[in-house]
Amino acid sequence: MAEGWTQNVRCRYYANGMCREGEACRYLHQEHAGSSLGTSLRTDLSEIRCRFYQRGSCVYGSRCRFVHAGEVSASSTNNVSQNTSMASSSTTLKNSPTHINKNGQGARYSQKTSVLKKQGISSDSGIWEDSDENWVNAPEFVPAGKDNILKTAEHVHLKSYAEVLNPVAGKRVSSPQPNLSSSSNKKKLCPFKEAGECKFGSQCVYVHGDTCDLCGHASLHPQDKEQRKKHINECIKQHEQAMELSFAVARSKDKTCGVCFEVVMEKSPREQRFGILPNCNHCFCLTCIRKWRQAKQFENKIIRACPECRVTSDFVCPSMYWVDTKEEKEKLIKDYKGALSVKDCKYFKSGRGKCPFGNKCFYLHAYPDGTKADVGPPVRQRRHSADIDVLQQVILWDFLDERENRWLYGIDELDDLVAFFSDSDDSDWSDYELFFD
Amino acid sequence: MANIAAQRIKREFKEVIKSEEVAKCAIKVELVNDNYTELKGEIAGPPETPYEGGTFVLEIKVPETYPFNPPKVRFITKIWHPNISSVTGAICLDILKDQWAAAMTLRTVLLSLQALLAAAEPDDPQDAVVAKQFKENQDMFRQTARHWTFIYAGGPHKNSDFDLKIRRLTDMGIEDHQARVALSSYNWDLERATEQLFS
Repeated sequence: MAEGWTQNVRCRYYANGMCREGEACRYLHQEHAGSSLGTSLRTDLSEIRCRFYQRGSCVYGSRCRFVHAGEVSASSTNNVSQNTSMASSSTTLKNSPTHINKNGQGARYSQKTSVLKKQGISSDSGIWEDSDENWVNAPEFVPAGKDNILKTAEHVHLKSYAEVLNPVAGKRVSSPQPNLSSSSNKKKLCPFKEAGECKFGSQCVYVHGDTCDLCGHASLHPQDKEQRKKHINECIKQHEQAMELSFAVARSKDKTCGVCFEVVMEKSPREQRFGILPNCNHCFCLTCIRKWRQAKQFENKIIRACPECRVTSDFVCPSMYWVDTKEEKEKLIKDYKGALSVKDCKYFKSGRGKCPFGNKCFYLHAYPDGTKADVGPPVRQRRHSADIDVLQQVILWDFLDERENRWLYGIDELDDLVAFFSDSDDSDWSDYELFFD
Repeated sequence: MANIAAQRIKREFKEVIKSEEVAKCAIKVELVNDNYTELKGEIAGPPETPYEGGTFVLEIKVPETYPFNPPKVRFITKIWHPNISSVTGAICLDILKDQWAAAMTLRTVLLSLQALLAAAEPDDPQDAVVAKQFKENQDMFRQTARHWTFIYAGGPHKNSDFDLKIRRLTDMGIEDHQARVALSSYNWDLERATEQLFS
C-alpha cells in the first residue's frame, strides 16, 4: 500500500495534457477531467462543477457537460483518511505551487476551476496545506478583473476557496492545535452552502464546508475533524442503506405470489406488499395470504398453513420487500413485533379492559402512567362455558392481520389507529379465533 | 367473475398447455366458455391400472372465489372407482373439499385426480357399491373397471363375457347403461342383477 493511494489521486500533469511519466506515472490518469490546457469553451465547461448535480439532481447524469464532483471514484473516497495522514509529506504538495504559478497567468479562469475541482476531489488531501507560502498567489487572490463568469455560481465557489483555506490560516495564526480546540472555537457550517450555494460567498459568517465525496454537499467542516468523521460515517451508512434497498428491490422484483400468480411488484401500488410467513419461505402478496388465512370455509389447520407447503405459521409479517435469508427475515419479524409492541392493545385499554390474548398479545399492555402490566397467560378456553365460547373463536394472529394493515402506513398514524380500533370495537368477535400454542 | 379468478385461470391455462404432462398426453385443459368460468379437463388413465388406455373427461367449474375455494370438478366420462360416483361422476377427494390450498392449480388438481385413479381410497368412498366390491373382490373390481374404461373411455380391453351378459339384459328391454350398472353392482351375477332390475 506504499504507493497505492496515489493511484487514486488524479495526475494534474496528465489532466493538463503534459505528464512526462506516461504509463509509469504513480498518479491517476483519467480522461474525465479537462485533458488539455486549451481554453476552449468545451474545456471550460468540463472543468466547472455541475450545480444541479451538487444539489443532487442532474438530469443529464453521466452525459452532463459539467463536472459531477461526486463521481470521483469510490476508491478515492475511501482513501480520504489516508490522504489526510500522508498529505503533508506527499510529493503532490510540492508540485502544487508550480502548477499554479505556471498556469495561473493565462487561462486563469479554467485553472481556478480545475484547481478547485481537484481540491474537491481530494477534498481532505491537504494539497494546499504545505503551499502556504504560495497560496497568496492562488488565483482566488489575484483580482479576476472583468471576467463576467465570476457572477455565476462558480464565482461563489471560487470565493469560498478562501474559506477552504481557512483551516490552514487559522492553524498558523490562532490555534496551534485546531483539531483539539473546544467546540466553542468552531464556527458553524453554512447551511446554505451545504444545501447548494451561499450568496454571501466568502463574506459568509459561517464556515463553508468542503464537499463530501459521497453526498456531494459542502458538509465537511474544514476544522472539525470529528464532524468530518461523523459526516462521512453518516454518508457511508446512508450509502449502505441505499445499497441494501436496491438489493431488496432487486431480489423482490421477480417474485410472484403463489396465490394470484402475479408478480408482486407489478401489482397495483397498494398491493405491492409481501406477506412473509415466519415458518416457510413461500412467497405471497399480503392481500392474497391474508385473504386465504381469513377463509372461513376451511379448518384453521388448513388456512393457517402455507398454501404451498402446508407448514403452519402463526402470523403473517407484512413487508415491502422480499426477504431471502434467515437473518433478513428474523430482523423483519423482530422489527414488526417491535413496532406493534409500542402500540396500546385495544382490548387491554390501558388497564380498563381485559385482553384475551394475555401475554401472548403483540400489543402493548401498559397503564396510563406508563408502567407495563403483566397480564399472565391467555385465558384458557372452556368449551362448556357459553361466554367463553365466543372467545374460542378468536385467534390473536388473525386479529393482528387486521390491525397490521395500519402498521404499514407508519407508526405516526396512531390517531387513525385509535379511531380504527374504536370503530371496530363492535366488530364480530366470532370472525376471529383465539390461538393457543 | 372476480378478477383474480379469471386472471389466475388464464395464467394457469397457459401453464397447463406448456406443461410436460400435456406433451405426454397425460392431461389436457380446454376452455368451455370465454370468461374462464368453465373448463373441460382430460386425464389419461394411469398405466398399470384398470383405467390404462382410457381418456377421462372432466367438467371443471371455477367459482368466483377461486383460488380461495377449490374448483368444482366431476367426471363426465363414466367410471368405476370407489371414490367417484358411478352415477353422477362426483369426486371424493380431500383437496377438492376441505384440504384445498390456494396455491393449487388446475394442473395439480388434474394430476391429483390421475393419482386418485391409481390409488383408490375405499375407506373414504364416494360410491359405496364400488368401494364394497373393491374391498371384497379386488379382481372383480379390476375387471369391471377395465370394462367401463373400454366402454366409456376408449380403453383397449374388451370383455366379451360381460358384453354377453349385458346383451341378455338389453334383449329384455333394459337400457344398456342401466344393465351395466346392475351387473357391475352384483359382481356380474346375471340372476341377481335381473332380480334387482325387475323388482
